[in-house]
Amino acid sequence: MSEKIIPTREKILANIRIQRFTPDKDRTPYFDNFKVEVETGMTVLEALRLIKNQQDSSLTFRAFCRSAICGSCTVRVNADPVLACSTQLLPIIKDFGKASVTITPMSNLPILRDLVVDIDPVIEKLAKMHPYLMKNKERIPKTLEQESLMSQKELTQFGQLTDCILCGACFSTCSAVKVDKTYAGPLSFAKAYRFSIDPRDSFRGMRIQASMDQGLWSCVQCRKCIKVCPKDIRPADSIRDMRRIAIDDGIHDTPGSRRAKAYTDDVEKFGQVNKPMLPVIVNGTKGWAAIEAAEVGLKKHGLEVTRQVCKLPGQSGSAKVYSKIREIEKKGK
Amino acid sequence: MIDLNDGNMHYAFYSGCCFQGADARFFEILGDVFDKVDVKLHIIAEAVCCGAGVIEERSELTSLSINARNMAAAEKMGLPFYTPCSTCFNVISNVQKRLREDTQLFDQVNEILAVDNIEYKGECKITHTLWMLAQDVGLQKLAERVTHPLNGLRVASYYGCHTRNPSDIQNYESSDNPTSLEDILKVLGVDIVDYDTRDECCGYHLTWPNNELSMKMTGSVLQGAQKQDVDLMVTSCPLCFKNLDGVQPKALAATGQDFRLPVLFLPELVGLACGMSPKEMKLDWHTVPVQVRL
Repeated sequence: MSEKIIPTREKILANIRIQRFTPDKDRTPYFDNFKVEVETGMTVLEALRLIKNQQDSSLTFRAFCRSAICGSCTVRVNADPVLACSTQLLPIIKDFGKASVTITPMSNLPILRDLVVDIDPVIEKLAKMHPYLMKNKERIPKTLEQESLMSQKELTQFGQLTDCILCGACFSTCSAVKVDKTYAGPLSFAKAYRFSIDPRDSFRGMRIQASMDQGLWSCVQCRKCIKVCPKDIRPADSIRDMRRIAIDDGIHDTPGSRRAKAYTDDVEKFGQVNKPMLPVIVNGTKGWAAIEAAEVGLKKHGLEVTRQVCKLPGQSGSAKVYSKIREIEKKGK
Repeated sequence: MIDLNDGNMHYAFYSGCCFQGADARFFEILGDVFDKVDVKLHIIAEAVCCGAGVIEERSELTSLSINARNMAAAEKMGLPFYTPCSTCFNVISNVQKRLREDTQLFDQVNEILAVDNIEYKGECKITHTLWMLAQDVGLQKLAERVTHPLNGLRVASYYGCHTRNPSDIQNYESSDNPTSLEDILKVLGVDIVDYDTRDECCGYHLTWPNNELSMKMTGSVLQGAQKQDVDLMVTSCPLCFKNLDGVQPKALAATGQDFRLPVLFLPELVGLACGMSPKEMKLDWHTVPVQVRL
């Protein structure tokens, strides 16, 4: 006999601190505090609705489906972007160890009012990636009667990526968007990659170009987008994958591609990256200035200057692994 | 043979490749600092560079295999895997997670490793300075070893990204609200100062592909700390240290700022608080001069 589980219901009187801002009226954003009895299971959205219904009807936020599928209710709670409808408040209150949470609008986007931001910049960048299938005539049957079949293996390559709901959480947290407004942002690359590896598609080259135009190698791999994605699509991994297919398709002449090649080849050759020479490997002859500056620093501390790293003891074993993988990858092609 | 019952804690030490050039001194001081808290490091001789996630841009299977091999080498030593580098921690923990979740991939990687007569079992415990000090050594023991508490020092604590993101990269503590670094720093006696840019990325991994953005990120992090009038910043990541200290003048020039903020790598501050001299810590190697009153 299994024991009957009685869920514990807790209640905490919490302070919900919400950023307010009406352009043309307020000079800068400010905060309002609301007291809310937060119960087990209460979502951020439920708290926002409660405040709007009972305490301040002018509080403005965006929400629709309440099922984590429309992607419209993204806000930041204690600085982390979340879907308001699928995020419970109590665990956050416990995690941060105080009965107060701060709710702010998504960052990296213009505020329209209170918690509502203008997401057009995200959509405009996405549109440039050709986020739709362009018919691959070799793969798609000529008549409508025939289905365009796909193997399970093909589908697993990008299946998870189709779950993206364009909620913008990744865009809000992105380190590169913060410092470069022209950068596409994580979700656009994830979509570009998703369509580029779909066997029914024929537009991969265009998307690689569009990705490069929008900063493919400007992602810093801070991995924050993976952390905040409510659909677990791992955009930063897609960016690595997009870089890989770009290099596979012949994009060798960018600092990013040269770095990828240098790291991969150096670890095989030396067991480590030839960092002393990396500036020149990545940036060509203009990298010498960086190398010379580093060498001046080394000499100052009486260190030996070297332009070639030594082989690590682990190199020989790892090189065997490399050649085995080369064999496997050749067979795969 | 390593005597595991000598009263010390033993770790398989994966140094990563960030300790090249002028940063080689970290490699030297780590052992001395950890001696103070009865931790002994044993270099994983068979290890190679983790590839910093960059190798995945050429071949994911290569990254998975060489890092499974790195872990397998530590497993053979029968010791927990310790790396001071946050990126190595991130990449290798991610590989472990991937292989634990996907048995087919796990088997494929082990078939590959068979050419080098080594087997990855998936058992190895991976840790970082943060949790080695805060949890394995423990705050109480650390407190006992602090001989020169750094009272009154105003410090901005900086984790960097790779011990925090994504959330499932570690299960030592909350990734939204980590406290291990602050817990350690409090034991050393310093005052922790809140600042806006604590959760921002330092931009180190854009050094080569897009230096302009890298410098903007570094400048922004430093500016946030400077605004709070701190004495220094302390980071648990040696790569963040490279940007925050090593290229600080360039980053500040790129973001139109003119100040200097000393930055320390966490083990350096631990060493100082445990009685090691600035000279032993080779603090004069910093780009931004550090003056600590002891």
